[in-house]
Amino acid sequence: MLKNYIIIALRNILKNRLYAFINIVGLAIGLTVYVFGSVLVDYEQNHDQNFANTDRIYTVNSLFSPAANIGIKRADTTYAAFGEFLKTGMPDLEAMARIKRQEFLVTIGDDDYYQEIRFTDPDFTRIFDLDYVAGDSSALNGPSSVILTRSAAEKFFGGVDAVGQTVLLDHQHSFTVAAVVEDLPANTHFNSSILGEEDLAVLAPLSALKKLIDYDPAADWGNISLGNRMYLLAQPDHDVAELETGLAATYEQHFLEDQKEFIIGVVLEPLSQANTAFWEAIGMPVIDSISILALLVLVVACVNYTNLATAQNMGRAREVGLRRTLGAGRQQLLIQFLTESLIVVVISLLIALVLLELIVPFFNQGLGKVVTLDHLATLPWLALTTLAVGLISGGYPAYLITRTTPIDSLKDGNGGGARTSLVRATMIGLQFVIAIFMLATVMVMYFQNQKVKQTIDLFPTDQILVLERLDVDEIAQQTETLRNELVRLPNVENVSFMSQVPFEQSNSSFEANVNPGDDATGFTMNRIRVDYEFLSTLDVALIAGRNFSRDIAFDSPAEGVQQANIIVNELAVEKLGFETPEVALGQSFYETDDDGSFQFTIVGVVENQNFLGFHNKLKPFTFLVRSGQYYGAVRFKPVDVQQTVQDIEAVWDRIIPNYPMQSQFLNETFEGVYTIYRSINIALAGFAALALSLALIGLFGLAAFMAERRTKEIGIRRIMGASVRQVVRLLIWQFSKPVLWALLIALPLAYFSMNLYLDFFSDRIGLPIGIIAIAGMIGVVAAWGIVAMHAASVARANPINALRYE
Amino acid sequence: MLKLHNLSKYYRTDEVETVALDNVNIEIESGEFVAIMGPSGCGKSTLLNIVGMLDSPSDGDYIFMGENVAGYPESKLSNIRKQNIGFIFQSFNLIDELTVEENIELALLYHNIPASERRERVAKVMDKVGIAHRAKHMPSQLSGGQQQRVAVARAVVGDQAMILADEPTGNLDSAHGQEVMEMLQSLNAEGTTIVMVTHSPAHADYARRTINLFDGHVVTEDLRAAV
Repeated sequence: MLKNYIIIALRNILKNRLYAFINIVGLAIGLTVYVFGSVLVDYEQNHDQNFANTDRIYTVNSLFSPAANIGIKRADTTYAAFGEFLKTGMPDLEAMARIKRQEFLVTIGDDDYYQEIRFTDPDFTRIFDLDYVAGDSSALNGPSSVILTRSAAEKFFGGVDAVGQTVLLDHQHSFTVAAVVEDLPANTHFNSSILGEEDLAVLAPLSALKKLIDYDPAADWGNISLGNRMYLLAQPDHDVAELETGLAATYEQHFLEDQKEFIIGVVLEPLSQANTAFWEAIGMPVIDSISILALLVLVVACVNYTNLATAQNMGRAREVGLRRTLGAGRQQLLIQFLTESLIVVVISLLIALVLLELIVPFFNQGLGKVVTLDHLATLPWLALTTLAVGLISGGYPAYLITRTTPIDSLKDGNGGGARTSLVRATMIGLQFVIAIFMLATVMVMYFQNQKVKQTIDLFPTDQILVLERLDVDEIAQQTETLRNELVRLPNVENVSFMSQVPFEQSNSSFEANVNPGDDATGFTMNRIRVDYEFLSTLDVALIAGRNFSRDIAFDSPAEGVQQANIIVNELAVEKLGFETPEVALGQSFYETDDDGSFQFTIVGVVENQNFLGFHNKLKPFTFLVRSGQYYGAVRFKPVDVQQTVQDIEAVWDRIIPNYPMQSQFLNETFEGVYTIYRSINIALAGFAALALSLALIGLFGLAAFMAERRTKEIGIRRIMGASVRQVVRLLIWQFSKPVLWALLIALPLAYFSMNLYLDFFSDRIGLPIGIIAIAGMIGVVAAWGIVAMHAASVARANPINALRYE
Repeated sequence: MLKLHNLSKYYRTDEVETVALDNVNIEIESGEFVAIMGPSGCGKSTLLNIVGMLDSPSDGDYIFMGENVAGYPESKLSNIRKQNIGFIFQSFNLIDELTVEENIELALLYHNIPASERRERVAKVMDKVGIAHRAKHMPSQLSGGQQQRVAVARAVVGDQAMILADEPTGNLDSAHGQEVMEMLQSLNAEGTTIVMVTHSPAHADYARRTINLFDGHVVTEDLRAAV
């Protein structure tokens, strides 16, 4: 019996090649996207499975107060100082290790490399079982020993035989290689492709940072930098709830009181979450979105199949009637039709698996991932998916065709009546709801991205070369010399040194009070350390007051003086409660710490410029002249850029021969962050394009089928005098109704969800009604086009041929 | 009304050329009732399709109301057709999804006639063919005779000067067949030109003239006195 079903199914596929092709291609695409999306989500959510202790490793995460206004909701780390209290507060804790990433100039022999080093507590090697090529887990116990990964050892020493060798940091600190370990796999959060951190290459003792940069983790209640994690290793038989209670109690007891307003809590995250923590931090449900979008594409594909199969099965009413007359029970017929749809799904799945084998290597190569396809391991899941897709998409048509009585079936059915066409219309509608919604989303995101991109125009972005790492003592001492030499270059217009450049996602801030020591009037202001050339170099416009001057003492007060002149932006003026920028001039506000109150006097007010750009809200910014700058901004004339950069580098090498120049253009800084927005947009555009094409393929098939079924009617109408255009319009209208209904649902849906998305940005595009309407129009016009392709050829055929079929 | 002069129609496939009509010369006056007879495959339907401008001749002239329409493009033919010619088919060719009323209205739908006038004319013609009580029914709910009456109503509702009927009684029993023939006869009496293909000599007798076709030739033309 089953053999008979399979033979009938295969013959049907061969007989109706066009529809079978549409069905199989549609389902294959849907399954490819769905399986790929699932594998990818699984991959991202299951990093770090290679460590022996994975199940009992946690990271400590900080929850920010919503009032903190720093653009992220949580961080995958917390203050290093807090780590000191954990062992006593959490009895189940076996080990704790913090990471602080810091870049140094590494010198080996005559070669210099800028290298990010992960400084960590000695217990790091107890928490993570590294694979030692040489040396052992005691490697970080020495005060100046380092662990290199295989690739780092090969890069520095040309091979893994590196134990005992010396590496020199910033020309003065000698470290000895104590161990070499195998590279960690790409599916660990250390080498994650979505976190944008450098791969783990060099590990060094955290305690060494005291000597290197005077950093004391036990006193660090000030820095939170994403990726500088705090790892916990719990006892093998630990209880997670107990661990959490211990952490919460330690927070209550030992977290710095002043910081509790800012960080309202700390929570544990299992190590497996470390890889996706970034998305959680910025509050974009990227991983969930991939799952949902992949599923939606599959739904569109299933609906395609259901629709076309329903329509097609109508033409098989006679076969069903005959089988029933010959004694087939309803159940047997159901099984027959479901077998058919399962066969189609299995063929589609096989094609999908082939497609996946082709796509995944490209994907891995392009994005630095090691997604693997283990079909044997996923076989039960694949089988279940196949079964579900087969039953869900084949169920309705099978039910419908077997529902009719044998007599009805033998009489030529005429399309199944109003209810069937309602179901069909609903399903077309559903597909277009999904497709048009996605399309609208993509377009709104695109235009918002363009808006984000405009922020690049706030600053002379393409005329600025940013020099980095100026905080190294040896470089910091030379900045004035550097400036004097650089401005003598013909194409260099200006040079300014500052603690933060535009678009850098960093919030360096302080608590400002209107009255000295009065916390009640306090609020957070961002602070950037600048110099006298800052405003002119970055085109920041003064709207009241004056720029800093080298001739005025309080513009750059000496060490120990508790008073300084300051320039603020308009928003800071507003926050301080002054009516106009002019009124604010000469007024003061204060910063209070253990040394007493520091008085700032406003001498200038600048325009509001979103210094951080992107999604960040506008913030009160203050600028003051103070040492401790990390960056130099060299403004150049936009001619002969390559030569100018070479000239700048030559000057640098002459003045600071010990440190190679590190620089990037300001628009590269921008691009670095912008890439995320663009990638999300491109990925979503891919999903939307697939959903829309699937919906259109389905519509094409259905339109072909319905046009065929309506051949007689079209013939009659033509004989009655209907023109080709009138017939085309008639056929288009049949499919327009569900698409127009889809518009009614998709457009408001897109409107509301996009308003939510846009609120994420401070500088957002207006109500996206126009854009969404255009997306709707694209959907409708595409649908019309597809249907018209058929309708025209059907309508143009000689009507008398149509009637001859009867 | 119309004149066919040396009109021929060939069908070509890759290897074979089939002659459906060969040098046919026919003239039909306005107000005539003409029957076309002949064995299966003699070219009756082809002739009717060409007269009805659903098909175009391969050769020769077709003068319709003083105009040679032989080389006209489809759009032009379609226009002449819908102004002047009504069709009745053996298999009725009603649209299953439309009611009786809507099926009849279809013939007016493509004529730029306001809805109120359309309704009026449909009501009138339904009365005339005696189908008014079935106005809201679907074709599948009607007997064959009733269906053909709907088809007749549809053919005349636009005040077409000529009706082409392709075996209008072929699918009907004798009583219903006679009914339809009487309807055609009374339409002819009111001045409508009727050209009918039939296999039934009895039904051909309703016509004033019979044209016999054989292998694409006109063999004989019999005139009979008005019945």
